[in-house]
Amino acid sequence: MIELKNIEKYYSSKGIKHYVLRHVTTTIKQGEFVSIMGPSGAGKSTLLNILGMLEEPTYGTYEFMEEDVTRLNERKRIELYRNHIGFVFQAYHLIDEMTVYENIEAPLLYKKVGGAERASRIADLLDRFNMVAKKDLFPNQLSGGQQQLVGIARALAAQPSIILADEPTGNLQSAQAEEIMQLFQKLNKEDGITIIQVTHSEKNAQYGSRILNIADGVVKDDITLTAV
Amino acid sequence: MFKLNLKIALRNLWKYKGYTAINIFGLSVGLASCILIFIFVRYQLSFDKDYSNGDRIYRVVSQWKYNDGNEFYSQGVPLPLAPAMRNDFSQFDRVAAIQQGGGIIKVRSQAGKPEIKTDEDVYYAEPAFFEIFDYKWLSGNPTQSLTAPNQVVLSEKTATTYFGDWRKAIGNSISLDGKTNFKVAGIIKDNPQNSSFPLTIVFSYSSYHDRNSKAWGAVSSGSECYVLLKEGASIDQLAQPLAQFIEKYYTDKGPGKESHSFQPLNDIHHNVNYGSFAGSTTPYKQLVGISVIGLFLLLTACINFINLATAQAVSRSKEVGVRKVMGSRRKQLVWQFLSETTLITFIALLFACVLTELSLPGMERLFGANISFSLFGHPIIFIFLLGLLVTVSLLAGFYPALIMSGFSPALAIKNKVLANAGGVGLRKTLVVVQFAITAILIIGTLVVIKQMSYIRNKSLGFDTSAIALLSMPTDSLSKMKYNTFKNIILKTPGISKISYCNEAPSSRNNSETNFSYNSSKDADFQVNLKMVDEDYVKTFGLKLIAGKLLPKSDTANAYMINETLLKKLNVRKPEEALGKLINLSGHIAPVVGVVKDFNNVSLREAISPIVLFSSKNNYHRLAIKVSSKDMLQTLKTIEKTFNSTFPDDVYKINFIDDQVKNYYRTEQVMGTLFKVFAAVVILISFIGLFGLISFVATQRTKEIAIRKVLGASNLELVHMLNSSFLWMVLIANMVAWPIAYIFIKQWLSGFEYRIELSIWPFVIAMISSLAITLITVSIRSYRAAKANTIDALKYE
Repeated sequence: MIELKNIEKYYSSKGIKHYVLRHVTTTIKQGEFVSIMGPSGAGKSTLLNILGMLEEPTYGTYEFMEEDVTRLNERKRIELYRNHIGFVFQAYHLIDEMTVYENIEAPLLYKKVGGAERASRIADLLDRFNMVAKKDLFPNQLSGGQQQLVGIARALAAQPSIILADEPTGNLQSAQAEEIMQLFQKLNKEDGITIIQVTHSEKNAQYGSRILNIADGVVKDDITLTAV
Repeated sequence: MFKLNLKIALRNLWKYKGYTAINIFGLSVGLASCILIFIFVRYQLSFDKDYSNGDRIYRVVSQWKYNDGNEFYSQGVPLPLAPAMRNDFSQFDRVAAIQQGGGIIKVRSQAGKPEIKTDEDVYYAEPAFFEIFDYKWLSGNPTQSLTAPNQVVLSEKTATTYFGDWRKAIGNSISLDGKTNFKVAGIIKDNPQNSSFPLTIVFSYSSYHDRNSKAWGAVSSGSECYVLLKEGASIDQLAQPLAQFIEKYYTDKGPGKESHSFQPLNDIHHNVNYGSFAGSTTPYKQLVGISVIGLFLLLTACINFINLATAQAVSRSKEVGVRKVMGSRRKQLVWQFLSETTLITFIALLFACVLTELSLPGMERLFGANISFSLFGHPIIFIFLLGLLVTVSLLAGFYPALIMSGFSPALAIKNKVLANAGGVGLRKTLVVVQFAITAILIIGTLVVIKQMSYIRNKSLGFDTSAIALLSMPTDSLSKMKYNTFKNIILKTPGISKISYCNEAPSSRNNSETNFSYNSSKDADFQVNLKMVDEDYVKTFGLKLIAGKLLPKSDTANAYMINETLLKKLNVRKPEEALGKLINLSGHIAPVVGVVKDFNNVSLREAISPIVLFSSKNNYHRLAIKVSSKDMLQTLKTIEKTFNSTFPDDVYKINFIDDQVKNYYRTEQVMGTLFKVFAAVVILISFIGLFGLISFVATQRTKEIAIRKVLGASNLELVHMLNSSFLWMVLIANMVAWPIAYIFIKQWLSGFEYRIELSIWPFVIAMISSLAITLITVSIRSYRAAKANTIDALKYE
């Protein structure tokens, strides 16, 4: 599904190059649950941003579903966002002015999903995440864990084939974090959704099927976990 | 999607209530001003547009050029011109003469109605006039109703006033000056207010006593001539035939060179060189001026909007980022933000309509006359409102939308969009522009106010206080009563000095003629004539600088002259002129006195060379100096005496003060407009400033907190926040100065008598704008500086 070849990313200032990523080469297959780990400033988030096409690598090629996306135009990229990629953020990033329902609805509107279909999908998601009663609340009326659930529901609404999560539990207490991780695992196992997450927590990483350890912009380890 | 966007927009507006209120208030005040200006300009541009042949109608007007470079214009033509043109020009469909006059109209008493006696403007028109201008006839038609002598056509309103109902008017009659009876033969619909032709009483041209005059040398502004060009003919082709026409008929050579031209109908209301029957013209220059002010207002309001929106952009960056990764195109985001702007503009427009409606009566008062404005009277206003909505939304919304939708999602999501996003440079530039406009208007207002008070207080060189001008009947029978009347009035308590004359020293009505001084050859310029009796100089407090006053006489047996005339004749000492002979249209008499210069027209113009002499036949006013004590009682006595002496006439009295004030009506209106709109612009600008400093303060909350922890005092923090704003205002003033200087110089050059342009208005504008900025900004920044440090640092 994802092919990274020799990805490099650096910022140059006053002629000196500051590398964030060096020679990152890896393949992520459909249905994997990958955790990217490493110390602060190692380049985890940058890698995830590149995977999410929010940033462009300085060098190297990135193929997403057999398509070179390093120099993709905006229109095509947005098509990918609408149909294949769902984002989950550490700070949830729900739109404050929208209710829970509307937040989940927004990507469907962009995808131009019909009204009836939209309603049934949202109802389905609300049901699945036990949030039917909360659908008319605004994000600031929810706890952090609930907000993250909405964030995940929103990411799932468009029925993506991959979810990119940047420290999805970073702002959560451990009980809530566990709940989110179990949800990810379930989505990965039952729905076959590819998940790539950045995380600090060894424990969270254990929910996945593979760990990429990054330090100083270089992939140090690539560990495949066997199902526990 | 649209519905959701609308909902989000509303929620967003509600969330930032303060900024929304600022935005909407500023914008609606600006929009209301624009709408008012549009209503006014539309009204002025709508004059004389209702005639189906409008584009083929021309007025023949006259010009004279003199050797000393003077030019003279008149909307009138010599009386024989109309028939001659009808004869000589094949390019005209119709040629029609129309003569303005005045007189006492009497309507005999009828059942239930007392006799009516009024002093009215009347017109004598050829039937062709109504073939050129298609009036709506309620009864009669041009050929039947205006061909025979002693026929009159009334407007619907006049007929109703005179006879109760216009249907009753037909066949009835009215009398003019107590001499001739006219039969009402037709009724026309009243003209709208926006017409240069306030025709209410129209006599058949064949009733006009001078209709067969052959005098090509005499022109009265009341004798107008209209032509209807044949279809397909062009007015440009007439230059050659017109030159031949002038050559053919003007055989006597005067000091001035006559010429005529064809003035298009739609120029009549806007050309100040020529007047109109309606009496008022609005030059295009003035309309452009006021439109520019309107544009300024709109611009300042939009700038506010852009500044606040781009400043707000930062706080919405997250939303932009999230929407982008959910698959929103940039175009969709632009649309979303634009629709928000449109929503705000729309709300502001609604408020603006309310404000406009509230201020319309004030505007009607300001412009006087019988103008009535209405917001929804004309469909074009709706189009204007729609245009305004679209323009403002695009102008104010497009740039912020572009900025916001352009945020990189990766940065936006991490809230790493810098506070500088949305172009601090641009924002600063806009503030500078806004304040430059404000400063220009402040300077302009100060100068206009100063010039107007200068004019009001400048002495015209004669006494203007408490002098009444009584209109006198001019028929020969009444003339015989002049002396007795004068003696009776003089006996009234409270009246010391009175004088018969044709006009006050300063007047809009001026007649000029050729003359010769101490020679048989005419001088190469004309003199202004004042026909006055022996008490004129005393009554108006004119200063005699040489010789003596006019002797008591009914005809010109002596002349008095003014200093300007001496200067033009190159006479050094006033005494040298005494005893020299002046020949004025055949009347040869010596100069007996010289008076100090007085202003004979408004202070916009220079003083003319003037000759004063007696001519009882031309007197039609009695100037009465009334003591301010018991003035009302005195005036009542005068009225009683007048009515008993001249029972057939109508008592009409004016004060010179009012007459002089009337000269400057345009300037007064301009002054008021300047004041009002300057206040509006200042208001809008400072509202914007307040909004902006609020945002800056919010954005820099953390910085402020850190600085405080590091030991900065409140005062230092306020100073830090203020300084950039003060600099902007200072730069804006520097930008404004030269522009304001050019505008003001231009405006002042329209006055012969004007204030010296000093640096003070500029300095005052700068100091006041700095002061207001300082106050506005300090209120907000002090609050920011005082805010609790911990609150600001707790997050993140």
